[in-house]
Amino acid sequence: MADERIEIPVELRAFVARDLRPVKPLAPPLRRALGLVPVAIGLLFAAVVIFGMRRDATRIGLALTWGASTLQIVLGLALVVAALREAVPGTTLPRRVVGAALGTVIVAVLTITILTWTTSPTEIAPGFVAWVWGVCLTGTIVSALPALALAGWLAARAFPLRPRLTGALYGVGAGLMADAGWRLFCHFSHPAHVFGAHTLGIAATGALGVVLANWLVRSGE
Amino acid sequence: MHDLDGPGGPVDDGAACQLAALMTGYQAGSLPAFESLYAALASPLLAYLAALCRDRGQAQDLLQETFLQIHRSRRAYRPELPVRPWVFTIARHVWLMDRRYRNRRPRSEGELPDVPVPAEVESLADRDRLRRALDDVLPDRREALLLHHVWGFSFAEIAQMLGIRADAAKLRSSRGMADLRRLLVEGNRG
Repeated sequence: MADERIEIPVELRAFVARDLRPVKPLAPPLRRALGLVPVAIGLLFAAVVIFGMRRDATRIGLALTWGASTLQIVLGLALVVAALREAVPGTTLPRRVVGAALGTVIVAVLTITILTWTTSPTEIAPGFVAWVWGVCLTGTIVSALPALALAGWLAARAFPLRPRLTGALYGVGAGLMADAGWRLFCHFSHPAHVFGAHTLGIAATGALGVVLANWLVRSGE
Repeated sequence: MHDLDGPGGPVDDGAACQLAALMTGYQAGSLPAFESLYAALASPLLAYLAALCRDRGQAQDLLQETFLQIHRSRRAYRPELPVRPWVFTIARHVWLMDRRYRNRRPRSEGELPDVPVPAEVESLADRDRLRRALDDVLPDRREALLLHHVWGFSFAEIAQMLGIRADAAKLRSSRGMADLRRLLVEGNRG
């Protein structure tokens, strides 16, 4: 079978000949993800610059404020790199790697939340719970949108064969980066608030990534 | 082995470099480079698609769709990557998409496509029986078995194409080969 020579169908050859403009090969995922670094830095500082630093910043210390947020930024960028790699055919990520990456994110978020709560337990005053919840959930999602859009565009320039997985990876990555800045402004460390608003915001951004990646693939067909 | 020495078999470093050079030329806008790529890859891709969908006519349609997708996504190929895992992954995706939208037709015994057969079992039965036995191997195992033994991909390459670990690819392939041997031996006894 392999010895037989298959002629190019006339229609296919004509189509390719008509459409054969030079294209520039994509750079490696790590280099492409560097485009997100300015956005990530902006997200880290935006909430603090606009709304101010959380009230208990001195008590929880540098490691649990800027240190933990920088860790979230790095993890978020790593997820975007993984998504950009996943978007190139032939370099598909094994399930174990995807599981390990998402597992690392969960462990990191849990650890930061618990350490912050044990160092500085702060709760929302009764009557303001829903309002604060709405602000933090919406703030996390809205501030993630620039990173989400840029990561989605970068991934769509490749050829994601598993768009839902690609979108989930860069969506969670964008959510982590957004929450890295938002948590520096939010004054409340109660786990119910952090998981119910901030972590939910990260998960919601992941879901938006899935929707975006699917839409980008379909609109490109 | 039927296909090992042809363009569908394992490629040495020189051939891999040649494919990468053709792909780079194709990205730069060279029609002859596309034609050479087609000549080098159409036959193994057709055999792979026939092995996946078990229908030669459908495989030919999928082959053209695969080259259209390769054309659309040629920017995504990076010169430092091997070409064959890249195009085989796209072919597999085209088959999966087609399968999703198509109601699978029941196939008759006589319509089995002329899929390649691993050399290791060629002596155990005639080609027609080999193909029927191969058809009874679980699809996941059959795919890994063919990718490794017929098209010569390494387990690391298969892992990247299928989104699994290299040792899982090796396990699928070796279990597929064991199943195939068992089916052929049982057939010889019967």
